[in-house]
Amino acid sequence: MTNISDELLNRFLDNELSIEEKKIVKNEIEKSSSLKKRYEALLLTHSLLQNIQPDSTSLNFSKVVMQKISHRGVIESQQKRFLFIVLALLGFTILGIVVYVFYQIFNTTQLSDSSETISTYSNTIGDYFSALFGKKNLSILGSLLSFIMLVSGYFLYDYQKHSKKNFSH
Amino acid sequence: MILLIFQTNFQPSIDICNLWQDELVYMTMKNLTDVEIIESVKKGNQADYTVLIDRYKNKAFTMLKRMLKNEFDAEEVLMDCFLKAYNNLSTFKFESKFSTWFYKIVYNSALTKLSSAKRKIENEMSSVDDLHYLESKYLADDFIKEDNSVLIKKIVNELPPKNAAIITMFYLEEFSTEEISDILKISVANVKVILHRSRNLLREIIEKRNLLQEIL
Repeated sequence: MTNISDELLNRFLDNELSIEEKKIVKNEIEKSSSLKKRYEALLLTHSLLQNIQPDSTSLNFSKVVMQKISHRGVIESQQKRFLFIVLALLGFTILGIVVYVFYQIFNTTQLSDSSETISTYSNTIGDYFSALFGKKNLSILGSLLSFIMLVSGYFLYDYQKHSKKNFSH
Repeated sequence: MILLIFQTNFQPSIDICNLWQDELVYMTMKNLTDVEIIESVKKGNQADYTVLIDRYKNKAFTMLKRMLKNEFDAEEVLMDCFLKAYNNLSTFKFESKFSTWFYKIVYNSALTKLSSAKRKIENEMSSVDDLHYLESKYLADDFIKEDNSVLIKKIVNELPPKNAAIITMFYLEEFSTEEISDILKISVANVKVILHRSRNLLREIIEKRNLLQEIL
């Protein structure tokens, strides 16, 4: 008589044995009443497990999830809009600085007759930006800029964290 | 006047028609495969995601409930899983089945919830001996007269998280051991060991109960 282990019996149940092994286990089950009882109990367990019905979520579960999805979409679009405004402001400030720098360069160099029109325009723009970035406004602009950068930095960090968390799953 | 009667009389029937139409669309969507629904959602039909939720919510909820041993936590985590899946639907490349991909999210979320509750499942009752407390509990007099199917459900609900997850995925979602090993990121052999241990425990309880009932 071959000793049929629980492992072998489980593999027999899951149809994982070769034809030869199946024959041996089948013969042993027919020969031994204790093994037959063991196998029948395993078979009963298997069918009981198959027949367990799943539990149900709350009735409005799908509705709540869909509402959350829609709500999240609105928040995301608001965040995107905010980021766009912050980036536009940053871009505008950088452009102002660049124009101011060019104005300073133009002022310090001799100008030819052909470039008079350009210099008039640059003078006007330069005057505007030099007033904007004057000593009085510079500190205010600087602090505003750092505040914007801090806020946008936080949002970017938060966004990155969320994306990382989502991708890890 | 006639027009007024006509309008008041026909307004509800139009609503009913719309409801029927919605129901008909839902019924049609219900017959579609996961891939077809995902493609539709990706095209912007957000509402179609409801079909996927309805398809998986109860089975995934059962697994989470068995793993977390708490109905409220299970529903909360499941909601989070559906949101995660929706947000990452664009990254789903159809290389695996949606169910496998989704259950990975569910299983990992359950682990995160368990670890946040400082319950490390790796150390929790992974050997056969550790499962014997269930055997002694359910062979007590209180449970002798209880129906086998009720008892099995109770024991499965008390199995350690990993065992409960494997049993649920194997029997309820009918995943193969290969798919379960992919979801749990453990070897197929390991999945089989855990599955057989859990099944043997249940078998032993049933066998001993049958014996006890025969004696009584």
